[in-house]
Amino acid sequence: MKNFYSLLYPDWNSAIDKLLANYSIYAPVKTGETLDYEIIDSENIAEITYNIPKPTTPLKTFFLPIKENLTSKFNSKSKKIIIGTPNCDIQGLKIQDEIYLDKDYIDTTYKEKRDNTILIASSCFETQEHCHCMTYAIQPFPKEIADISISRVDTRMHLEVLSEKGEIFISELKNYAAVSNSPESEIKDIELKQSKIENEITENNSGLPDYKKTGKIVQKAKEEIWNKYSSKCVSCGACATICPTCTCFLLIDKPNFEKVRQLDACQYPGFERVAGDEDALGELPKRFKNRYFCKYVWKPQKFKSLVCTGCGRCIEACIGKINKNELFRELA
Amino acid sequence: MSDKTNIYKPIRAKLLKVITESPTIKTFIMEPEEEFSFKTGEFIELTVDGIGEAPFTPSSSPLETKQIEVTVMKTGYVTEYLHNMKAGETLGIRGPYGRGYPIEKFYDKEVIILGGGCGFAPIRSLLYNLAAVSDKLRKVTLCYGSKTPDECIYKPYVEELKSTPKFEVLRTVDIADDTWTESVGVATVLLDKIKIDIKNSIAVCCGPPIMMKYGTIRFLELGYKDEDIYLSMEKNMSCGLGKCGHCMMGEYFVCKEGPVFTYNEIKHNPAIWE
Repeated sequence: MKNFYSLLYPDWNSAIDKLLANYSIYAPVKTGETLDYEIIDSENIAEITYNIPKPTTPLKTFFLPIKENLTSKFNSKSKKIIIGTPNCDIQGLKIQDEIYLDKDYIDTTYKEKRDNTILIASSCFETQEHCHCMTYAIQPFPKEIADISISRVDTRMHLEVLSEKGEIFISELKNYAAVSNSPESEIKDIELKQSKIENEITENNSGLPDYKKTGKIVQKAKEEIWNKYSSKCVSCGACATICPTCTCFLLIDKPNFEKVRQLDACQYPGFERVAGDEDALGELPKRFKNRYFCKYVWKPQKFKSLVCTGCGRCIEACIGKINKNELFRELA
Repeated sequence: MSDKTNIYKPIRAKLLKVITESPTIKTFIMEPEEEFSFKTGEFIELTVDGIGEAPFTPSSSPLETKQIEVTVMKTGYVTEYLHNMKAGETLGIRGPYGRGYPIEKFYDKEVIILGGGCGFAPIRSLLYNLAAVSDKLRKVTLCYGSKTPDECIYKPYVEELKSTPKFEVLRTVDIADDTWTESVGVATVLLDKIKIDIKNSIAVCCGPPIMMKYGTIRFLELGYKDEDIYLSMEKNMSCGLGKCGHCMMGEYFVCKEGPVFTYNEIKHNPAIWE
């Protein structure tokens, strides 16, 4: 297969070491029970974890940091490689791109970061309790948006090229390692693993309403539902902070007309407050309901991209133990 | 226009003059350092350096390109700083943003404008524009309400407008004083005092949410079609670029698809008046 390249795991590791001269590289590393992106250096290359579900931090944070000055030039031009991103996060980039690369107003800070980053996403060969990408017809392996899809099978790494940038990366990689085309048998192995996980995620989430139904469910839900589920909400905003598709922000002014973007969340009080203290989302149940309408009704009307990719982070992050899938199952 | 390479960066504008319109409302006349123009009803983001930024629809004529005016009520943090500013100081502006009034659609029509309080600001810009094309319009009637006679803004302009052919002005206040000779009551009462050829008329409404709501209800009762009622919606339009998410009103980013909507475009959302 033309688009599948293969190299030995030790060779891949030494290639990463050499790539460090030109790129900042980030990849998931397991520390205790936590899996999250770490800055890769020569010491921790062998600790990179491949083909397991989502790191704690969503991919969006690389392109929309928690806080960033938009009017002073810092380091956005540095070249990055991000390794090991699962497809739920890769799909989350679609809505970000629709918003931040909107041709009417291109956000150059965001664009520079996107342009200067090579995304080496990875297929999931495992699943976690709250993974439900398949419910929203998102497969647990990347086929678009990312530049490369990486899989580790025994002692070999397989790199499937998904973009022109990915093709260029393979050429660069060939300077550092012996790269060959992946044998058909190993591609079949990968496909078998992918389809096993697809089935597992589908089975784990049987009966969970899909994206075609969620919007209608949200629109039909009575106020009692919002009151009930929001009664455990403490407006901490964790669900939005950790969500790969929530990208709302606050503009903060600094002297000399500088603007700082800080990620915001519609779950915080005052999100929609206007002059004179009118606040359409002043009450907690309204804010809670707003998030569901935004994700499952309004943004789907407005954008082509999905605004929930089924990563399950909001369920894991909620200190009130609010599970949006329980809400959808209750109303299905 | 704003910096195309950085959509968040304001251009500088020198504050030329500050006019006190009422105890709580001031007009700020600015001269942008770079070319800046807008269509009536579009809005700008105005930066008080280091303090904050807020959206305002210019109150000046869109045909005037050297200077730009905003009329601002002191209601919060940014506006309080703004009210303390003096001529000679520098402000920042970004924009213009959003969708303003589709003036061409008003041609051959009678335009009824219902305004309240500081909602007169965008309306004044619209009136300047309508005056420039008055040969294409049947008539323009402004029905304006404020709380007290003191709070009626643009007094000299209203006098000028009263003597402009094809223009009529009706005003009302909630609480009158001895000097007040015009109507008393909420702004919508003025709509009962005029004869309108509804079929050949369009309605424009801009003011506080409560007035927008009851104004729209009254226009509907009078027989206006949903698509002939133009509403200038106020939300927390923070970035102006359809990105920050603060001004979402149903499926719309008010900053990009609005702030001017026809009632027909937004009536399916019961939360529009909140």
